[in-house]
Amino acid sequence: MLVKIAWRNIWRNKMRSTVVIASVAIGLFAGMFMMAFFWGLVKQEIDSAVEIQLSHIQIHNPAFPDDKDINDTVADASMIIDKLRKGAGIKAISGRAITSAMITSSSTATGVEVHGIAPADEKNISSISQDMIEGIYFDDGRMNEILIGKKLAEKLDVKLHNKIVLTFQSKSGDLTAGSFRIAGIFHSRNSAFDESTVFTKFDELAELLGTGKAVHEIAILLRENKNSDAFAAGLKKQYPSLLIQTWKELSPEMALVTDIFDQIMYIIIGIILLALMFGIINTMLMAVLERQREFGMLMAIGMNKQRVFFMVLLESVMLTCAGIPAGLILTVVTVNFLARHGIDLSAFSQALAQFGFSNIVYPELQTNMFLPVTLMTALTAILSAIYPAIKALQFKPAVAIHKI
Amino acid sequence: MHNIIESHRLSKVYNPHTIPVCAVNGVDLQITEGEFTALVGPSGSGKTTLLNLIGGLDYPSEGDVMIDGVDITKMSENKLIDFRLHNIGFVFQAYNLIPVLTAKENVEFVMLMQKTPKREREKRAESLLEQVGLGDKLNSRATELSGGQQQRVAVARALASKPRFILADEPTANLDSKSTENLLDIMSKLNEEEKMTFIFSTHDQRVIEKAHRVITLVDGKIVSDKKQ
Repeated sequence: MLVKIAWRNIWRNKMRSTVVIASVAIGLFAGMFMMAFFWGLVKQEIDSAVEIQLSHIQIHNPAFPDDKDINDTVADASMIIDKLRKGAGIKAISGRAITSAMITSSSTATGVEVHGIAPADEKNISSISQDMIEGIYFDDGRMNEILIGKKLAEKLDVKLHNKIVLTFQSKSGDLTAGSFRIAGIFHSRNSAFDESTVFTKFDELAELLGTGKAVHEIAILLRENKNSDAFAAGLKKQYPSLLIQTWKELSPEMALVTDIFDQIMYIIIGIILLALMFGIINTMLMAVLERQREFGMLMAIGMNKQRVFFMVLLESVMLTCAGIPAGLILTVVTVNFLARHGIDLSAFSQALAQFGFSNIVYPELQTNMFLPVTLMTALTAILSAIYPAIKALQFKPAVAIHKI
Repeated sequence: MHNIIESHRLSKVYNPHTIPVCAVNGVDLQITEGEFTALVGPSGSGKTTLLNLIGGLDYPSEGDVMIDGVDITKMSENKLIDFRLHNIGFVFQAYNLIPVLTAKENVEFVMLMQKTPKREREKRAESLLEQVGLGDKLNSRATELSGGQQQRVAVARALASKPRFILADEPTANLDSKSTENLLDIMSKLNEEEKMTFIFSTHDQRVIEKAHRVITLVDGKIVSDKKQ
């Protein structure tokens, strides 16, 4: 009967109960949506970095990342690539020749990193071919083509089909220069990358460098990102003399973002729930104080303190139980809609691009978000009812019965 | 007939450290089983305070209250709640019922707290409501009943726990003449037929006329105690 009383009590003041249910629903929605939004943002950044720049795993000569010396190539790269290509779990693999160079247009010059790539292989591993905004992604028949980023094109004040000159040190130590025609201009989600990286065909760069078939970097894209650590561990055992790094090791700042994502989210949700807690305390306290005579009567006729406490708690739990499904439905519907259509943050596009974020964020719910956030919301509602319940216990029946 | 209630030198002082108000002042009282007693007196004479002390709703500043030989003033708050549940029935001036429950559920509620089995609970609630003339209002919510009907449900509820006595604090104060007469008839009948002990505070002359014993309080002291 206590359940019956509690349930009917919460509908005595429909407006107030609706406000509490709405508070719980909106609190839960706010928490879940924040998590979905930021997870969408972080995941897009990871995907973007993996697709544009890092891949899931990279293999280098251990000395190469520090000095970028073109003589520090990956030993037996062709054999490794062939072997891995036949293995399971790999979506794409590509060998790259890499060097630092000075790029010069008719008006200015700047430093860049040149990636000599095999266009067909790279197409499967990197999203650059899809990021072309002008021109084409390499034409097989043409020689000395180069792809540059939009930002670099603006900096060099060059247009599609203009010529630019790359100057770098060859294997022999001599300064070498090559003239290239801009075949395409790309615009990725990372403006820093667009400004500092250019692409040429592998053979043409290797010829200028004098490195032949030698490879400075092997990039591997796996079928599943979650397998990166395990796959890299296997490769490290297999090729102990090579430097094998996952995207997390290659970009520790991004790994940090994903690692602290949960903690930051829980802090934000904690703040939201704290606000919710005060809302519920206020409403429940009002409900208890308004019914002071009733509590006095109940205690007078023999309702013990445990039952009074339980009844107030039960009312709060019931309100929460009504609010939680409403909040979850609201979250799922909203996030699913926005996951398809995205949230347009073009107004902040420049700032977002600085950090490699996209203008359009697609929120994404992780299934493991539901339980902890729901439990945290339920716990908040229960904790919020404790103070009003204690207040109800403090009523003296002889006094409370005569309260107006 | 033995004394069901005894109080010795019973006093209650409010605000003892600021402006002391002595609501009950050294009251010695004996109520015998089966009595139909009215506590009368002007406003502020201490009627309600005395009822609260006898009913264990408040602790005295001095003195004791013995119910069937048990000193209830020495009990902890929780024990006292349990004691009230099993031994004392209450009818208040207003706000007697749980508004969200029906008449039958209100009567059953006390028995539920006593852990009476469901079937027995329902049967007794129906029979008690029949007894107070509300057999046709079993499923009416408290808020759907008139003031007189609510008081009758309160009497049925007070009886439901099979108490040793019933305390009623100005039970007719908010009722019209017809409802007052009706309620008094029910209480007198219960007193005569079932020997239920009633003690009520009142200003109402009609209630005083029905009482077998009238105790008059002035300034917290008994100034007259007449049987009629």
